[in-house]
Amino acid sequence: MKKHTFLVVAALLAAEAANFGAGIPEAHADRRQNSLANDVAVRHRRLLVRGRFELAPLFESTINADFRHIIGGGAKLEYHLGDMLSFGVVGVFGTALNTGLVKKIEPTLEDAADPATREPSRDEFMTRLNSMPIHGAGYVSITPWYGKLAAFSQAYLAFDFYFQAGVAYAQLKSDCPASVCNDPSPGMSSGPDGMTPPDNNPNNDDPLNSGSRLGLYIGGGIHVFMNDFIALDLTIRDYAFTDNPSGADFNANLAVTKDDARFMHHLFFGMGVSIMFPTTVKRTP
Amino acid sequence: MRAFHRSVVVLAALAISAGTVVAQPKKAPAPPAGGDAEPEIEIDPAADAPPAGGDEIDMGAEPGPGDLDADMAAADAANANAVKAGPAVRTPLSWKDILVVVRKPFLKARRTELLPMVGTSVNDNMVRHYSVGGQLSYYLTDVLAIGVEGQYYRPSFREPFDLVARQARRLPTINTLKWSAALNFNYVPVYGKFAVLDKRLITWEVAFTAGIGAGQSEVEERDKKFPGFTNLLIMPNVGASMRFFLAKWLTVQVGIRDYVFLDKFEPTDRSPTMNATADEAKSNADTALINNVMFQIGVSFWLPTSFEYTTFR
Repeated sequence: MKKHTFLVVAALLAAEAANFGAGIPEAHADRRQNSLANDVAVRHRRLLVRGRFELAPLFESTINADFRHIIGGGAKLEYHLGDMLSFGVVGVFGTALNTGLVKKIEPTLEDAADPATREPSRDEFMTRLNSMPIHGAGYVSITPWYGKLAAFSQAYLAFDFYFQAGVAYAQLKSDCPASVCNDPSPGMSSGPDGMTPPDNNPNNDDPLNSGSRLGLYIGGGIHVFMNDFIALDLTIRDYAFTDNPSGADFNANLAVTKDDARFMHHLFFGMGVSIMFPTTVKRTP
Repeated sequence: MRAFHRSVVVLAALAISAGTVVAQPKKAPAPPAGGDAEPEIEIDPAADAPPAGGDEIDMGAEPGPGDLDADMAAADAANANAVKAGPAVRTPLSWKDILVVVRKPFLKARRTELLPMVGTSVNDNMVRHYSVGGQLSYYLTDVLAIGVEGQYYRPSFREPFDLVARQARRLPTINTLKWSAALNFNYVPVYGKFAVLDKRLITWEVAFTAGIGAGQSEVEERDKKFPGFTNLLIMPNVGASMRFFLAKWLTVQVGIRDYVFLDKFEPTDRSPTMNATADEAKSNADTALINNVMFQIGVSFWLPTSFEYTTFR
């Protein structure tokens, strides 16, 4: 009798113990892991860009240009579809400044061209350099990172990083007068019946580095928000298109032709002040 | 037999009830009955409302006897009330007055940072310098560090170097860097955190660096008939960098550094009768102030590999 009682009790306890062990994960799941595990990274976040237009007057300057720095002013207009996706356009009017390299070369050149050498005269060298009066881009922008920072433990500012890609446009300009660029048929025979051979002098050829260019655009930058609707906007932009900045013979065929242009990167640093519209922000739950 | 059935039923009921109680979610604890129970503060939304009875703050149940800490706290509170003098200032207190400040996830004070790094020059359109080196820094505080760095440079000539010779018929005068070393001071004024794709938080900071050091440059001879020379340079530097914290012992750093120095360049007039030797050329060298701006990236390893907080959470 006692033996049977013990066996029945032991079986009941074993069964209950098995149920007890199996029930732990469900019964105590809420004690080991709270709702933060599946929550967003930031709650009560100010939606500083979502659903807002961004208008940014800006200043741009080339970085490490070879022959002419381009500096100028313009604006960026962008609409943010969400926290991470936006599209926009940027346009800049610029002026050109000679780089240190040009300032070193120019004084060493002769005033007049010497037909006995292939050395350009001062005018031949300077007037063939091109400038970029207008440039811009249309782009799609991704903002994968946002956050806040403390500066000197005093100023607490929101910021975000963004990356852009799109289509670049540039208007190039060079001013080689007819008195300098006077070769009517660079690299080719000319004259009646083509009897005049090429002059093999690229310094008097048309530089072929003016006009409109389409290319690729990529950029990356940071917004640092001063308040709910004004942000400092710092950007590195690369406008890549075919160009021949010196307007000279690049491929050493003794003539300036379209083949001398190559796909080049034009790096710019931009700084602007972004104004967000509407000026009020919403918060996430 | 009857006794047997009764025993089985009673034991089974006890076992089932015990298991069921244990498996259920924890309910709110009952008020402490014994002397060993700790006093607890209930975070109750109703506690935010000011007490109806007056200025007293209800801090929960009375501690049971035998709790030394609770007794001392109660005695201190009583003494404070006994010696209180002057006009009473009513200070509304509630849980909303408690600000939650997240501790800095990474402490640097009294730790050593070993930073192997690579770099490239960004502001010279004739020659690009690639560098490999390292920096060893000791953090005196969480924001201030002192360190030493060393770099070895390899040059790479860029497109304008050839174009100037081919198109303008001019040979560029350039120097290349060989090595540099510096003693640096780092200050960290900015720190923050950002969310990546709204999923993960990463902490980062911005550091400013200033230092003084030395380096060596070498003349690239325009005409290999004439020997070049080297220059020992005094190289102060300033810069800024961003550091991203990945683990307690691992960070990633990217930054910009401007190394400033007076360099001596090969004179333009070298001939068998003028500046023919290296010493002559160096004594008649043209001097120019150079800003060599480098972009640097590296991975930092921290020693000790962990740290302990010394303040309360």
